[in-house]
Amino acid sequence: MLNYLEILDRANTGPYLAEENWDLEKVAMTTKKLVKKYKLEWNKEELVTDDASLSEAIYNAGYELAVTLGSYSRTTERVIEISQDEIDGGIRNMPQNVVMGEGKDARTLYARHLNDERAPLFFGGSPGTPVPERFFLANVMSYMQEPLIDLATCGTLVEVDGREVRTGNPIEIVSTRRELHYMRQGLKRVGRAGMGMLAAQSSVSELGDLAAAHPDYLRPCDSHLVPMLNELKMDHRNISRAVNSLEYGMVNASLPCVIVGGLGGGPTGSAVVNVASYLIANITCLADYHILHPIHMRHIATSTRDVLWVINATGQAFARHAPTIIVADIYPKSGAGTKELLYETAANAIVNAVSGNHLEGCGSADGNAPNCSGLEARLMAEVALATHRMKMSLKDANDYVLKLLPKYEHVFTQDGNPGKPFDEVYDLQKLQPLDFWQKMYEEVKTELKEMGLKV
Amino acid sequence: MPENQHIQAIIEAVIEGEAEDAAEATLSALDSNTDPLVILNEGLMIGADEVGKRFERGEYFLPELMLAGRALKAAMEVVKPSLLKKYEGTDTKVKARVVSATVQTDIHDIGKNIVSSMLTAAGYEVTDMGVDVPIKSIIDKAEEIGAQVICLSALLTTSMPFMRDLIEILKARGIREKYIVLVGGASVNETWVNHIGADGTARNAADAVKVVHTLVSA
Repeated sequence: MLNYLEILDRANTGPYLAEENWDLEKVAMTTKKLVKKYKLEWNKEELVTDDASLSEAIYNAGYELAVTLGSYSRTTERVIEISQDEIDGGIRNMPQNVVMGEGKDARTLYARHLNDERAPLFFGGSPGTPVPERFFLANVMSYMQEPLIDLATCGTLVEVDGREVRTGNPIEIVSTRRELHYMRQGLKRVGRAGMGMLAAQSSVSELGDLAAAHPDYLRPCDSHLVPMLNELKMDHRNISRAVNSLEYGMVNASLPCVIVGGLGGGPTGSAVVNVASYLIANITCLADYHILHPIHMRHIATSTRDVLWVINATGQAFARHAPTIIVADIYPKSGAGTKELLYETAANAIVNAVSGNHLEGCGSADGNAPNCSGLEARLMAEVALATHRMKMSLKDANDYVLKLLPKYEHVFTQDGNPGKPFDEVYDLQKLQPLDFWQKMYEEVKTELKEMGLKV
Repeated sequence: MPENQHIQAIIEAVIEGEAEDAAEATLSALDSNTDPLVILNEGLMIGADEVGKRFERGEYFLPELMLAGRALKAAMEVVKPSLLKKYEGTDTKVKARVVSATVQTDIHDIGKNIVSSMLTAAGYEVTDMGVDVPIKSIIDKAEEIGAQVICLSALLTTSMPFMRDLIEILKARGIREKYIVLVGGASVNETWVNHIGADGTARNAADAVKVVHTLVSA
């Protein structure tokens, strides 16, 4: 494995390249050539493909992109060159099992294969969503208390003690530690103190992340995010997050949020960039597992046709050719208190369950407002487990998703479908969904059963 | 080659994002005595407009937008001297100077890049300062180049307060009225605009261009 100091050296001494040239001449142009070379095409009616040769071509194109380009340091404006042998070494060393949490609540994340006999695991929470302090604890507990949820995540505290949180400001240290305080408190209160977490979500810069690396906050058995920058780029701030985990031992979750419609172009190029991102993140993010979170250029959500295709293509590429631990963020356009949120969640859950991914969610309402609750995470897990139990074929998965799309595609407008904030869909004392929200959930579940899903 | 063929070649070069072709076609048009203002308005701007439309329809993606920006820049370098020579003193100068930046502590650039590219394509002179830019530097740059518009971007909710800081500093320095301040980003909405006293926002890049047009023309 490449020594991390070597990565830092290369970031300081690699060939100089203006960032715009990296973006356009390296990433965009090389991806475009590879899409042509491998004859990659997507079909908006076939969002879950059973074409093994397409999956192989996407993996090979992503591999070639990673080997051709390596990575780039935005801090030093230099290319971080990575050899083919080093990429191969990174693939060989991709963890196949990672234990998260401790004691009776510990879970083992594993690299899923296609048609894996083992069920996917579920992170419950609304990752990165701004959540006010007044109901932060209640919100995270609404997910933690769900029996099907294996691991916990959370939103971002945007104020503490009535004060606005600012990135890079000392208050970020306070907010990240406060978030972890609530998370640990929540886990104890639901009787799952040992549950593993993907947290320190309030650490937008590296500041909070570094401050939370302490057994009272983020334990060595928990994970934190090591983001990549769009596309295939790092900077010293994010490298610091990875370096900080070297001796402390936190689990590194790489976060390349490939933009569908961005530098990779359309869905095919974006899938290629996503594959390459993981191969690079093995090295630059010291990734123990990878977050799958393609972002739609206009709609953000992961439930559009093109993003669902990218999720499936990326997941399958690894599940078939180089299994690694992938945890897919589910970011529906719609928010809590709407049926569309539940349809979007179901479509995402089916696609991820058959594509070799674990699931995390939901970042309801695009993760843009605290319009999220544990109820949709329950449905996410129920649908994914039903998909798994039914041993659903890729073709059947596609058919289900095509039936769900007309139920929610009308939300992809500029106004979206934000729904209601958490405190308007849950009873904050009893921590249960309000009647109208519970009823919507039951009605959607009935519809899913009528479609043939054994939820 | 007839004039309309020169103009068509310019339009196609911009749409295809071919910088060398755009420059060559522009040069050929000038050599054939095509009016530089015709080259600008009926060639380059038409091509840029089509690129914007294709982007909005989801037919073009970010790379095509960036390549078209390069083609426009290359062609403008060729046509600009003739334009200035022939129309000096008339209203052919850029519509306005714009400073764009992602505010300090935020490193997200895609949205800002798209807006910058589309404003450039629409005829504005855009100085894109990049990401994580200190607010003092943004103001200094705006003062230095005589900008009329400051476009601020922030994806992170916890970086948005720096937008308000910039406006407060403009007020404290007594130069708030000199600038149209537009703010954008996933969490930015009209409520935030009113809260911090900005001049506007837009929900996508095409709308951003319209908002700038409207406010600059007002």
